Amino acid sequence: MAETVIQNPSAAAGPVPVFTRYGAGVESRLRAHIEMLERRLRQRDAQRRAMLHILADYEQDRRRLARQTERLDNSRRAVLHILQHSHKDKLRLEASRKAMIHIMGDLRETTAEVQRREQELRDKQEQLVQAGKLATLGELTTGVAHELNNPLNNIGLFVGNAVDLIELAVTEKGEIVGELRHAMQQVSKATEIISHLRTFGRAAPVSRAPISLREVIARALSLMGEQLRLREIEVTVDLGPQEPLVVGNAIQLEQVFINLLTNARDAVAESPRKEIRISGAVGSAAVEIAVADTGGGIPPGLERRIFDPFFTTKEVGKGTGLGLSITYGIINEHGGTISVVSPPGEGARFLIHLPLAPADTKQTSP
Amino acid sequence: MTTTLGVLIVDDNPALLQALPRALRLRMGGVTVETADSAAAALERIVTQDYDAIVTDIKMPGMDGLALLAEIRARRPDTPTLIITGHGDNELVVHALRGGACDFIQKPIDRDYLVAALYRAIRAHVLNRRVKNRQLALECCAEELERIVQQLEREPRAVPGGAES
Repeated sequence: MAETVIQNPSAAAGPVPVFTRYGAGVESRLRAHIEMLERRLRQRDAQRRAMLHILADYEQDRRRLARQTERLDNSRRAVLHILQHSHKDKLRLEASRKAMIHIMGDLRETTAEVQRREQELRDKQEQLVQAGKLATLGELTTGVAHELNNPLNNIGLFVGNAVDLIELAVTEKGEIVGELRHAMQQVSKATEIISHLRTFGRAAPVSRAPISLREVIARALSLMGEQLRLREIEVTVDLGPQEPLVVGNAIQLEQVFINLLTNARDAVAESPRKEIRISGAVGSAAVEIAVADTGGGIPPGLERRIFDPFFTTKEVGKGTGLGLSITYGIINEHGGTISVVSPPGEGARFLIHLPLAPADTKQTSP
Repeated sequence: MTTTLGVLIVDDNPALLQALPRALRLRMGGVTVETADSAAAALERIVTQDYDAIVTDIKMPGMDGLALLAEIRARRPDTPTLIITGHGDNELVVHALRGGACDFIQKPIDRDYLVAALYRAIRAHVLNRRVKNRQLALECCAEELERIVQQLEREPRAVPGGAES
């Protein structure tokens, strides 16, 4: 076919004589052939153009595809990258999570540790209070021993008298019974002293109950009374008409007043006028109690330090330096405050504020 | 010597002032026991009364037993004073004995011991008084003798003297 295509163009436009040589039939056949050839040629041309079109289209498609592929590839790479990143992130997240869990564990441990320490601290605080109580008790012992010795001595004498009366064959029963009655009174007096000491010294759980400070102060004075009396210290108590009811621990609060009374006792030892004044008033929300003495007062600048543990102005061996710090702790635990003022030339005056018990509470006996 | 003994008990404890005099009356027949509840009250009493013995507690408010002892020694140096001390107050005991107490009684009081100590003190006091009385009597006799001697010296040696010359 291709050979015909090459020959034809010159033939189509070629010289006519060839046709004429072979006659009109040949010529017409040739013409028809040429026409057919031309048709075919046109057809082929059209086909070729169409082909070219298609080719161009195809080429375009191919390019687009290539571009798309490339884009896709980029996307793929990007996705890969992202995936990689995300994997890394995931790893990192995992590590973070693990670290977090670790930290949480640590935190839990630390919390437990802190709680344990807090408990320990609370225990220590209680032990300190107990130690302070025992120290106070130790200081009280001399006075109390004297106090206890008296009823014991009297019991001996009364019972001895009863024995003598019986041995002398005194028929008067009344006399003997009288002596024994006196002895019984002295026994209950001694029992009272001892039971009070025991309650005070006992390491009791720190329970809270509504209690009247009037009673607390009376009990503290019953322990300290003999010592104050022998030292000729005048004690006045004026708490006003209203009942100073607070919610607290009777024994701890008693210790507060024993500590303050002990300090006051030592403060007035060398004073010409020996007086301790306990005064109080009930406010709308708080009870205010003041313990004032006529001693030498507190040197200026020491008003805050005297509440520090182991700080003492007493001679070595005389004071533990614990009394006021324990007092401070107890008052603090009861939601109250304690402070001291000591104007020059006057004695010290300790001021205690304690929240008043809610109005509907009923007092319980310590 | 008087027939009834007088004893003063000084203590600030009212129950003891009830029990102790009773014990002494039961144990020491015919003793008169008076009480004072403070050193000051005791000093008031010894102004008018000369007791055969004084028993005082050592720990008392105001003037204590040692101060009272010193006062008694100054005002009634002859009256024997016994001191009641707490158990184990050894330092106070020594102070009391140095201060002129004739004995000490430890609480809780042993009545036999107290009675014995009181009797001993009173006997010593009585003996002392007797010695003093004798001494006084002797001094009187001595003065009398002296006086007689002087009188004899002043008088002319009339009666017995003639034989010599």
